[in-house]
Amino acid sequence: MKKWRCRNCGFIYDEEFGWPEEGIAPGTRFEDIPDDWYCPDCGTEKDDFDLID
Amino acid sequence: MAISEELARTIIDPKAYSNREVVDSAFAQIRANQPLDKAELAEFEPFWVVSRHADIKEVERHPDIFHNGDKSTFITNIEGNQRVQMLTGGEPNLIRSLVSVDGDEHKALRGIVFPHVTPRAIRPLEDAIRGIAREFVDHMLSFDGEVDFAADVAFLYPLRVIMTVLGVPQEDEAFMLKLTQELFNNADPELNRARAELSPEEMLKSLWETTMELENYFKAVTEKFRANPTTQINSLIANAQINGEYLNHRQMMGYYIIAATAGHDTTSNTTAGAMWALAERPHLLKQMQDNPDRINAFVEESIRWEVPVKHFMRSAVADCEVGGQQIKAGDWLMLSYQSGNRDEAVWADPFEFRMDREANPQIAFGYGVHVCLGQHLARMEMRILWEELFKRLKSVEMNGVGERTISNFVCGPKHVPIRFTAH
Repeated sequence: MKKWRCRNCGFIYDEEFGWPEEGIAPGTRFEDIPDDWYCPDCGTEKDDFDLID
Repeated sequence: MAISEELARTIIDPKAYSNREVVDSAFAQIRANQPLDKAELAEFEPFWVVSRHADIKEVERHPDIFHNGDKSTFITNIEGNQRVQMLTGGEPNLIRSLVSVDGDEHKALRGIVFPHVTPRAIRPLEDAIRGIAREFVDHMLSFDGEVDFAADVAFLYPLRVIMTVLGVPQEDEAFMLKLTQELFNNADPELNRARAELSPEEMLKSLWETTMELENYFKAVTEKFRANPTTQINSLIANAQINGEYLNHRQMMGYYIIAATAGHDTTSNTTAGAMWALAERPHLLKQMQDNPDRINAFVEESIRWEVPVKHFMRSAVADCEVGGQQIKAGDWLMLSYQSGNRDEAVWADPFEFRMDREANPQIAFGYGVHVCLGQHLARMEMRILWEELFKRLKSVEMNGVGERTISNFVCGPKHVPIRFTAH
């Protein structure tokens, strides 16, 4: 399970927990989130998330 | 040991910010020697100065521990804080806006406008904004080679964009600009309400009068948009409901005011600062014209460079550790974005304006859940203006001495006299 960080506000998408507020189930890989999903805190699009080492 | 009184007074002195190098030098010393330490000044509640990029991010990523709204969100002395509480019936901020609320209230308020200002939501505005940008480029070129870029272009273009998005008629733009400048430049005799040097007590009175004038204006806005709702931002605010109730008076007025003031003044400051940087570095214009794909890097660097919001305050609600210091519940902290954006640990040459930076994690919009709501619109309108300007400009240089506003909060250049040639 990986974590991805929004470049603009630091929101972290953690694949382990998903994002149930928007129907993204725990365990959902970042690549499998719909392309039109955006950062729930600031609106930044998926392309501008960075994989956290 | 606390930060020296001289440094502490410099970093809160509105006049010091009119000579940015003085503040930059003070923060460079603070970052080097006491990057997160207390300032203790007789007339102020003691406050921590958070000067490093990483520490600012650390504080902003924990909004549950570091609140915006429990104390003043910008530096104010003890007497000023007491007067604000008298005027507001106990609240620490004159205006109850997104930057001065926390938790569920913040989330609910932010959610009213947020879906309408994401990159995807604003993309359809590109053509309309480009039309406005071209209009202001033509306006600039009509000055026949010499113009005060701050007063005649940078103050006006973002104003037109944001007022269009909000739903404010063009005939009200001058009024909105005047009140915005009064609100953010209260210490500057050229721009404040009284057009005079003011005592701290007079400044607060003046701020209150400006706030009341804005509230009077927006009362009519609410009536107008409740009668005829549109998709414009002011209509969303007027008609929004939280738990089945319209926003209360202070929430609604705070929302209108922050959108109509911070929504353009910050972008104006950044745009004016970028032109100032360009006019002092003739090679930059050619670099940009030879490398138009660097436009986003140029915009990002101009935001880092100008950093129009100099600071916000937070207050801790629990004991914790940040940057190796023990913060106690109730402590007050100053997050200096100007310092964070000059952090030598992040940028090798932070005092240089460079459009060839590969990464630019500037922190001028803040970070975390309180990150600037309008950041994507701001970036978009600056990119479009510079795209249009770079097509037309042949040369630009300073034509006199630039001047910065006297303010320690939201501020930037007020005069950028330039000489230019154009295609």
